Amino acid sequence: MRAPLTKLALLLALVACGDRTGDGGGTVIIGAAADADAVLPGLAGGVQGRVVTELLFDRFADLGPALQTVGDGGFLPRLAERWTWGADSLTITFHIDPDARWHDDTPVTADDAVFTFGLLMDPALASRMAADMAGIDSVTASGAQDVVVHFAQRSAEQFYQATLMVPLPRHIYGSIPAGDLRTHAAAQAPVGSGRFRFVSWEPRVRLELAAVDGHARGRPSLDRVIFTPSPDPTSGLARVWAGDTDVWEPLPPNDLADAAQHAHVRVITGPGFDYGFLAFNFRDARNEARAHPLFGDRTMRRAITMAVDRDALRRAVFDSLAVNGLGPFVRAQITADTTIRQIPFDRDAAAALLDSLGWRTIGADGVRRRGTQRLTFSILVPSSSTVRNRAAVLLQDQLRQVGVDVRIEGMEFQTFFDRMAQGRFDAVISGWRTTPSPRGLRGTWGGAAITGGSRQNAGRYENPDFDAAVLAGLGALDPAERSARLSEAFQIITDDAAAIWMYETRNAAAVHQRLRIPEWRSDAWWLTLGDWTVDPAQRLPRDARPEAP
Amino acid sequence: MLRVLIARLGQAALVVVLVVSSCFVIIRLAPGDPFVQQFEGQDVAPEVRERLRAAYGYDRPVPEQFVRFVGSAFRGELGTSTMRNEDVRSVLARTLPNTILLMGTALLIGLSAGVTLGAWQGWRPESRGARVTDRLGLLVLSVPEFVLALLLVLVPALAWGLFPVGGMQSVVPPSGFAAVLDRLHHLVLPASALALILTAVVARHQRAAMRDLRDAVFVRAARARGVPERRIFWRHAVRNALVPVLTLVGVLFPALFGGAVIVEKIFAWPGMGSTMVDAVLSRDYHLVVGGVLVSSVCVVTGTLLADLALLWADPRQRRP
Repeated sequence: MRAPLTKLALLLALVACGDRTGDGGGTVIIGAAADADAVLPGLAGGVQGRVVTELLFDRFADLGPALQTVGDGGFLPRLAERWTWGADSLTITFHIDPDARWHDDTPVTADDAVFTFGLLMDPALASRMAADMAGIDSVTASGAQDVVVHFAQRSAEQFYQATLMVPLPRHIYGSIPAGDLRTHAAAQAPVGSGRFRFVSWEPRVRLELAAVDGHARGRPSLDRVIFTPSPDPTSGLARVWAGDTDVWEPLPPNDLADAAQHAHVRVITGPGFDYGFLAFNFRDARNEARAHPLFGDRTMRRAITMAVDRDALRRAVFDSLAVNGLGPFVRAQITADTTIRQIPFDRDAAAALLDSLGWRTIGADGVRRRGTQRLTFSILVPSSSTVRNRAAVLLQDQLRQVGVDVRIEGMEFQTFFDRMAQGRFDAVISGWRTTPSPRGLRGTWGGAAITGGSRQNAGRYENPDFDAAVLAGLGALDPAERSARLSEAFQIITDDAAAIWMYETRNAAAVHQRLRIPEWRSDAWWLTLGDWTVDPAQRLPRDARPEAP
Repeated sequence: MLRVLIARLGQAALVVVLVVSSCFVIIRLAPGDPFVQQFEGQDVAPEVRERLRAAYGYDRPVPEQFVRFVGSAFRGELGTSTMRNEDVRSVLARTLPNTILLMGTALLIGLSAGVTLGAWQGWRPESRGARVTDRLGLLVLSVPEFVLALLLVLVPALAWGLFPVGGMQSVVPPSGFAAVLDRLHHLVLPASALALILTAVVARHQRAAMRDLRDAVFVRAARARGVPERRIFWRHAVRNALVPVLTLVGVLFPALFGGAVIVEKIFAWPGMGSTMVDAVLSRDYHLVVGGVLVSSVCVVTGTLLADLALLWADPRQRRP
C-alpha cells in the first residue's frame, strides 16, 4: 500500500506549511446562482450543497482524477488510510487513519460510520444517499478504527458505492431523531472531518469555511473559503468582473466574451458531465397505450435526426463551451465511447426518407403533407433556460428546411417537468447531469422492464436489446467487458434515434488571476481547493489572515 | 374613529384569511413538485422523491394538509421549507427585516422627496426647474424597474465603482461602526432603484394637488391675512395636498412589495421578495403559504396605516 509514502508526503507538506509567511493564506470568494440547500451530507440535494459538504466532510476514499469507478485502482485514501478486501469480495474493511479527527478534535471512529449508515438508511431522514447505497447490506465495526462494509452480492462498483457514504460524528448527531435532523440546529452548523471547517452561514448572504489547522492530510494553503450566492447570474457575474468574487462556475456561454475583457479574470474549461438532447416521445401524448403517430416510427426519428446540423446548432448556442453529443454519456466517463456511429447530417437523405414515409406533397406554407395531414410537431422547453430555448429556435429553423413544422412550447420549469413526467409532449429538449459512474443509464433510458416504470425515461424509449446490453455492462466485473457491453447499448440507442444527442457542455469557470490552481477536477473542481494558493504578488486586502474569533 | 378602526381591522383579518386559504390550495394544485427543482437534471430514484413527500406530509390529501396547517398556524408553526431545510419561521424572521429595511428606506426617501418635489413643482409650475424635474420624473416613470436597477448596477457600481454591485454587506465585512456604514453603502443602490420610481409617482400626484390648491379660497384668505408664504406653503397647502398622496400610498404599498422582488433579485438583496419568488418556482409549499401570510399581514397593515394617516390629514374621512 502507498499509505506510508502518502503520510510521509503529508508530513513534509505540514512542515512546509508550518511557517506561512511565504505564499500561504488567502481568501477565496465563490459566487453561485444558488445557495446550499443544506450543509450536512445526506440532506444536501443540490450542487451547492454538495460542494460545501464535500469540503467539510471526508469520505473513506476519493475517486481520484482517473474517474475509474470499477474496482479500487484509482482511489485516493482520505478518512481511511488503507483498505482490505474480504476473501469472498463481499466485504471491504476500511482502516480509518488514527490521526483523523472531527473538527471538535474528537477522533473519527468506526462507530461513527456504523451510525451514519443506519441514519442514512432511516426512512424518516428521507436521504437521497439511501438510494446510492442500495447495494450495501450492512456496515459493522471490527475494531475502534476498522469499518467493515458488507455487500449482498459482488458488483463492479462495490468500492465506489462504499465511498459514497460520508461518515458523520455520532457524538453530535446520534441523539437527534432522524426525522428532526433536517431542521435541527446541529445540521445548520456541522462538525465535519474535511480540510475545511464550518464557520458561519447566513443563508442567501454568505457561508464561510476556514482551514483546519493540523488536519491529518495537511492544512490547506488558503485561510478561508466564502460562498456568496447571487440569485441573478447577471449581477453575480458583475461581481466577478468588479473583482469582488473570485470564482463563478458554471460560466454561461453568453458571458465568455465578457470574461475576456477583464484582465483579472481567466477562464478555465474542462470536460463536463452534462449532456443535452432532443428526446422523441415514443408514446402518443393523448393515449399512452398507443405509439406516437410520428415518432413511434424509427424511420421518421432517423429522418428528423438526419435533418439536424448539430455542429451549427452547438456552435450557435455554446460557442466553444460544448462539443457534439455522442450518446447518453459524456466523454469524461471512463465508459464513454467516441467511436459510436452517428446518424449523419444529410438534408437530402432526410428529405428522401420523409418522402418514403409518404410525406411528399409540400404545401404553400412550405410544410410537408401526407393526404390532408401536415408534418408538424411541438418541442417542449422550459422558458427559464436560455440555452434550450435558443436550441429549440435553431431546430425549428433547420427542420423547416426539410418541410417539417415545429412549434415551440415554452413553459415554467415546474409545468415543463410535470408535462414531461406525464408524457404529454411530442419532443422535449432536456438534459442529464451524469456522474463518473454510468449506472444512471438504467433509470434514464432503460425500458419499463428494468426501471419498474420510472418516469425518468421521459420519451418512454423501449428496446429489450438496449436494456440487456445496459444490464450486462453495469453488471460486468471486468472493465473491458463493461465498456464493450455499454458501447453496444450506446450504438443501439443511437441507431434507434431515441434522441438527437445535441451537445455535451464543457465545464467552464471564471476565476481570479491571482489564484494558482494545480488541478481542475472535471467531476468536482472544489475537491482541490485545499491545494489552491494565492499569488503573493497579487494579494488583495481580503487575503490578509482573518482575525481569530 | 374607533368604530372605523375596528371595521377596518375586521376587513383586514378577513382579507388575510381569504388570501392565505386560496394560496394554500392554488399552490398545491399548480403543476410541479417541491422536489423537482432541487434535483434538476440529476438521476434521482423516484422513491427518493416519494420518501421526501411523505416526510413533509405532502402525500396526504389537500384537505387534510389544510386542517393540519390551520392547527399548526394556531400554534405559531408554519412548517419546514423544502428548499432550505429550515423552519419557515426562521426563514421569514431572517428575510422580512431585510425587505422592511429596503422598502422602509425607499418609502421614506420616495415620500419625502416626492412630496417636497411635487409641492414645489405645483407651487411654482412656471419655473424652469419645475419643468425640467417634471420631464425627468416622466423619464424615470417610463423606465421599467428592472432596467433602472440594471442601469444602477452598470453605471454607479460597475463603471464608476462608487457602490457595491450587490449583496447586503461586504463578503469580508468590517466590524463595529464600519459595519453599519458598510450596510448603508450596500443599501444605497437598491433603495435608490425603488425610491426613484416612488419619488416620481408621488411628485406627480402632489404636484397636481398643489396646483389645485395654489389659488384655493383658504390660501388666498391666508395671504390676505398676511400669513408668511412659507407658512402658507407648508401648513396650509402641503397638508391639504397630502390627502390624495396618502390615498395613493395605500395603493402603492402592495406595488412596492412587487418592485422589491425585482430589485432584491438584481442586487442579491436577501429579502423576502426574492425568497418568495424562489419558493413559488420551487413549489416550496410551506414557505409560500407562510410568506403569503406574513406579506398579506404587512400589506393590510401598511394600507391600514395609510388609511389612518388619511383620517388624520382629512377629518371629513372620519365620518362613518
